[in-house]
Amino acid sequence: MIDLLSVLSIVMIVTSLLVFGLRNYKLSIFAYSFQTFILVSIFLLLSSTHLAEQLSVWATIAFFTKVLLIPFILLRLIKKLDVVYEDEPVTGFFVSPIIAMGFSLAIAMSIYPIYLEFSMIKESVPLIASITIFMMGIFGFILRNSAIKQILAYCMFENGIHLSLALMAYNSPEIAELGILTDAIFAVLIMSVLAQRFYKYFGSLDVSKATELKG
Amino acid sequence: MDIQQLLTLLLVVPIVSSIVLWFTPTNFKALSTVHIVASVASMLIAMKAVMSVVNGETLFAYDQMLFLDSLGGVFLSLIGVTGLLVNLYSVKYMQWQVDSNEITVKDAKLFFALSHLFVFTMTFSVISNNIALMWVAIEATTLSSVFMVALHKGKKSTESGWKYIVICSIGLAFALYATVLLYSAGFTVINDSHSTMLWTTLVAHAKEINPDALKLIFVFALIGFGTKAGLAPTHTWLPDVHSEGPAPASAMLSGILLKCAILGLIRYYSIVGNSMVGFEFVQAIMIVSGLITIFIAALFLIRQHDVKRMFAYHSIAHMGVIAFGLGVGGVIGLFAALFHSLAHSVTKALAFCVTGNMQKIYGTRDMTKMGGLIKIAPITAILFGIAICSLVGVPGFAIFVSEFLMIQESINTGLDIPVALFIVGLIVIFIADFSHFNLATFGESKTKILTNKIEWSANIPLIALGALIIGFGVFTFNGWVTLLNNAVNIIIGA
Repeated sequence: MIDLLSVLSIVMIVTSLLVFGLRNYKLSIFAYSFQTFILVSIFLLLSSTHLAEQLSVWATIAFFTKVLLIPFILLRLIKKLDVVYEDEPVTGFFVSPIIAMGFSLAIAMSIYPIYLEFSMIKESVPLIASITIFMMGIFGFILRNSAIKQILAYCMFENGIHLSLALMAYNSPEIAELGILTDAIFAVLIMSVLAQRFYKYFGSLDVSKATELKG
Repeated sequence: MDIQQLLTLLLVVPIVSSIVLWFTPTNFKALSTVHIVASVASMLIAMKAVMSVVNGETLFAYDQMLFLDSLGGVFLSLIGVTGLLVNLYSVKYMQWQVDSNEITVKDAKLFFALSHLFVFTMTFSVISNNIALMWVAIEATTLSSVFMVALHKGKKSTESGWKYIVICSIGLAFALYATVLLYSAGFTVINDSHSTMLWTTLVAHAKEINPDALKLIFVFALIGFGTKAGLAPTHTWLPDVHSEGPAPASAMLSGILLKCAILGLIRYYSIVGNSMVGFEFVQAIMIVSGLITIFIAALFLIRQHDVKRMFAYHSIAHMGVIAFGLGVGGVIGLFAALFHSLAHSVTKALAFCVTGNMQKIYGTRDMTKMGGLIKIAPITAILFGIAICSLVGVPGFAIFVSEFLMIQESINTGLDIPVALFIVGLIVIFIADFSHFNLATFGESKTKILTNKIEWSANIPLIALGALIIGFGVFTFNGWVTLLNNAVNIIIGA
């Protein structure tokens, strides 16, 4: 029998590869939006299978904030800056996602047993997915130089944590969930303003060109 | 005033101040008046709250989600006192910036409004008993201070703002993972969703929580809060951010914010230390982290000629010293670490604010172009001297007390090699600092002096900071010692 939760988790991993690897900003943002939509679906699925009503509230909030609002902010940003494609990173378009995915999966496989022991929902594949997506976000910061890709990397590791939170602590007080989401939205807004400034002063979104401060 | 009202006011006053400033007409006099009144009000409430927990009481509010214990009281006193003095100085500093067309009055308004929002987030982080809310508040300290740092328009300012938000957000993501893991590991023994989020419950049940999970949790917390606190190797945002922000922003960040992140780490240190893992594990990690941080900072300090960058590396070094104190552990080591938090807070606030005076005088931050400060602006030179003497641990200044206690306790507990390395690191910092101090203070200026007039209204808050540095270096304040002893007892679960 196909385990829907595992399938959705694997789809999230695949979408993280797309968010990371796609050169076209718009497609990358849509991939992120789709990934968050899958996350919302997982929340709803868990809500019904584990009678966790809180997760349906999380799903509603995440849908409006992360499936709609954050992609809207980012789409507006690329429209304002009139940028379409990411400059090629040092590690290359194809090599960097493979490196990131390899390391992310390796890290996830090594630490997920600890997560599994305390997780409220004891499902291996979703837990591995949550750690993998988180690490893909971290590698996104390290391996991609585009400011917009780095904002997406932030959004992605936030998705990874959000999935972990749903699996490991879905009964946690809602105020914590609300606080974490509020921080995430403000972080994206602030990073978008800084990315605009960056583009204005450096004529590029490549953060590796920012070398004024050294030593 | 009941406890709930007091803890509510601690949060409401700064947030309302921020909103009021936002809607105040863009007139510098009106803005500075509101800013000063609000800063005094925040300080008075903070100190009233601190006075309530000096003797070891713990105040709870909102179903225990907010609390204030002696440990939080130590850090709240930094927000109250250092925050007020830096905010008072910021009025004159912003006036200079506006007069020299570096910023507009609108920018100054943004700075004042954000500084109160920043105080709100730091206070929230200190009084959150809910560990998830504590994380939210610490992340919010970054968000509220980004545009205080990147107030000036330009390449350097933008670069520093970007590095700040990106590196701190990555680091804090690990702290969020630590929070989620701690909650789920704690829930298996506590079995109540509300209580499991509370630090007071978690520390009370620490012995029952799985030790392997706690080890991983502490490593994640160290990466997360350590990044925010400027511990190596994730300290790289700090020199850029502290050197590029306006002097009062750097003073607030270095003097208070880094300590709030350290408090977050101490909360995890306490839970893991009081568990079956034991204090030996966390102490060993903190000693290594502290020494690496001190040495990296010392090596970069030697070659700094930019006065603000030099002080930024000092911030890293002294976070390393606090980490070393946590590593030494025991009653005296922890007492020293907490004392160092206050000593460094007032010292670094003075140091960064003095750089504001120096920049006004010389129009540069490059110490090789300065000189003759003692003749040009003797009060600024003396204040600079007090800051340097304290930073390098000269007897009679606040930082000496904590560093001496750490060395003494390390020797008593047989930490011979770590303490030897610690002393070597401090000697390197000592030599580097005094050579820089000589460059700026004596001889002749190598650049054109823009002004030698520093108004008393700018110097008075700095003199107060200088007095605190010497006061805490020379005298023993019983109330403060009691507060620290009670805070140490909370950490070790006595």
